[in-house]
Amino acid sequence: MGKSTGLITNNIRALRFHCGEMTQQELADRVGVTRQTVNAIEGNKYSPSLEVAFRITRVFDVPLERTFQYREEVRAE
Amino acid sequence: MERDMMDLSFQEKSLWLMFVSLIGSFGFYFTSVLPTQGVNLMPHQVVLFVLAIVLLVLMQVVGQIVIALVNRRTETDERDRLIELKGSRNGAYVLATGVFLTLCAALVTEGNFAFTHILLGFWVLAQLVEIGSQLFLYRRGA
Repeated sequence: MGKSTGLITNNIRALRFHCGEMTQQELADRVGVTRQTVNAIEGNKYSPSLEVAFRITRVFDVPLERTFQYREEVRAE
Repeated sequence: MERDMMDLSFQEKSLWLMFVSLIGSFGFYFTSVLPTQGVNLMPHQVVLFVLAIVLLVLMQVVGQIVIALVNRRTETDERDRLIELKGSRNGAYVLATGVFLTLCAALVTEGNFAFTHILLGFWVLAQLVEIGSQLFLYRRGA
């Protein structure tokens, strides 16, 4: 039985670029988090709560799956 | 590296201030008191303890005013709260260990000098671990 680990990635940087080159601070203000949190999410260092994830997708008006992706890796033990 | 230091949030700067002021005030206290070991606390050692607390409060008040003047205060969010919880958990482990060791020390030593200083030392250490953990988590992401 392999051990599964997951990795959540995102396209926030690209979505910001296509949304009038929105800054991290602008996105943070609209979502209601700090700029440092947006930076950590973009860098895949922090996985946001579902609530924040939905709020981010609402800003870009795209489906959740276009903003966040979940990749499961199964490692053999 | 220089950019990283400039990129510190309001919360991180407050934590760094607390970290440095704890080391400064209790460093002053322990380096003054510990070389003069005794069985019981002496009155001048209690005065030094009060001085350390006053020093800590002064450093905090002045430092927080400076940080508040220089930085825009930001509201905390879910990541800040998660980091705070993780830091508190790490600090609690150290404090619990300290309380246990203090009770052991109370059983085998006379007077209140060792008892008081082991407990105080572990309290300061627990605070430093809590704040240090938070600073580490802020830099790592969460």
